[in-house]
Amino acid sequence: MSYYLAMIGTQDNPIYELEFGSFRQGNDGTSKFNPEMKELNPFILHAALDIIEDVQWETNTLYLKAIDNFYGHLISAYVTPGNVKFLLLHETKNEEAIRHFFTDINDLYVKVLLSPFYNANDPIISPSFDVKVKTLAKKYL
Amino acid sequence: MTIYSLYILNKAGGLIYQTDPCPGLNKLSANEYLVLAGTLHGVHAIASRISPTAPTPNTGFFGTGKAVAGNCNTSGLKSLETDAFAMYVFQTVTGLKFVLVTAPGTRAQADAAELVLCRIYECYADYVMKNPYYSLDMPIRCDMFDEKVVEVTQVVV
Amino acid sequence: MSKTIKATADDIWKNKVEKINSELFTLTYGSVVAQLCRDFHNDYVQVNAQLERMGFNIGIRLIEDFLARTGLGRCQSFKETAEVVSKIGFKIFLNVVPLVTNWSGDGKQFSLVLEENPLAEFVELPQDDKASRALWYSNVLVGVLKGALQMVQLEVDVAFVKDVLRGDDATEIRLKLIKVLRDEVPAGED
Repeated sequence: MSYYLAMIGTQDNPIYELEFGSFRQGNDGTSKFNPEMKELNPFILHAALDIIEDVQWETNTLYLKAIDNFYGHLISAYVTPGNVKFLLLHETKNEEAIRHFFTDINDLYVKVLLSPFYNANDPIISPSFDVKVKTLAKKYL
Repeated sequence: MTIYSLYILNKAGGLIYQTDPCPGLNKLSANEYLVLAGTLHGVHAIASRISPTAPTPNTGFFGTGKAVAGNCNTSGLKSLETDAFAMYVFQTVTGLKFVLVTAPGTRAQADAAELVLCRIYECYADYVMKNPYYSLDMPIRCDMFDEKVVEVTQVVV
Repeated sequence: MSKTIKATADDIWKNKVEKINSELFTLTYGSVVAQLCRDFHNDYVQVNAQLERMGFNIGIRLIEDFLARTGLGRCQSFKETAEVVSKIGFKIFLNVVPLVTNWSGDGKQFSLVLEENPLAEFVELPQDDKASRALWYSNVLVGVLKGALQMVQLEVDVAFVKDVLRGDDATEIRLKLIKVLRDEVPAGED
């Protein structure tokens, strides 16, 4: 199974993206998206932003679950209190695992925000953040 | 213990603070206070050199290498007792002097006075040194410090 | 001796020190450093110098607080100074106790190794190579130590030699006694 994660800043600007595969069932964590899909991924998530903007006001939870789908791919979303959006493109329904994944990513994101040299909405280029996100992916998905 | 006056001297012997918590004292002129402070500073320094026994050179970590006696008074002027008043001097490691002038008292008063001086030193650290607008070694004009000094000196009166 | 030092420090830390939220403290220091980096257009040599200057001004004031609160007298040796700086100074102001280590043969140089650094929690240096080569993020400490020790008539050379933020294995500050300012030792302390 393959996943595509994107974090979108408050100006609808991407600040982080990661493509990865599952570690379950003997997989090694590499994504198996085909080349066309790889190119489409950012567009699919981008299209989901409009839906988030509708859905986010209808609930008081941060985790919006699966809000959209695209030819069998599901899009789950999480909106931080600061209106940064986490989007995950995935192939099967897995609400609880994704909830934990998003919640922990939010914790990581807060730590990044606390670093004095990081400005909100800047791309996150910290290698240690990258490593930690990958660890979470391995843990939950 | 009746506290007549408090003086604070910087490390060069300049008067940076003077107050009379006890009302009804005759005031000196500003200049006379400065002279008094300077004199105290000098007397303190001289007192630290007065020695009744044969000197030996001081070679410790902080020793000046100058000759001092083994059992002489090297801590300078610590207290002064007269029929009219008593004076207690507390010198910090940084060279500040806190001087308390009180009504004459018993030996026990010296301990009480030292306690007051320590409390005032704490106030100085809190309300003078932590005031960003205060420049080092200059006269102290901090209302908060004034209030605290009154508080400390009043408690023991 | 070291037991009593620890007990004194713990007592002061518990009863005499006003505490603030450590995140507020860390973020405040972080924004100061980040702003300096912006103001000096990432000229980190300048930023280090500014931090040290700020620290110096803190140190010459903070020493009075330290002395008033601890009631300590003058140290008898540089070894004692090292112990007091680490076990009491760092303890009451930052609630950490750096390791005193790497003494030079003549007893005039030692290192303080910080296991944790309250100033640098959450911090990641800017990703340019320059920052991790030139910036000493916690350089304010260097100034504080210099300023405070100068006020008790010790001229010391203080510098960071390692910082975990740069990828080193530890955070280490080196202190070197240049001289005792004998002429400035107040009369009455011989």
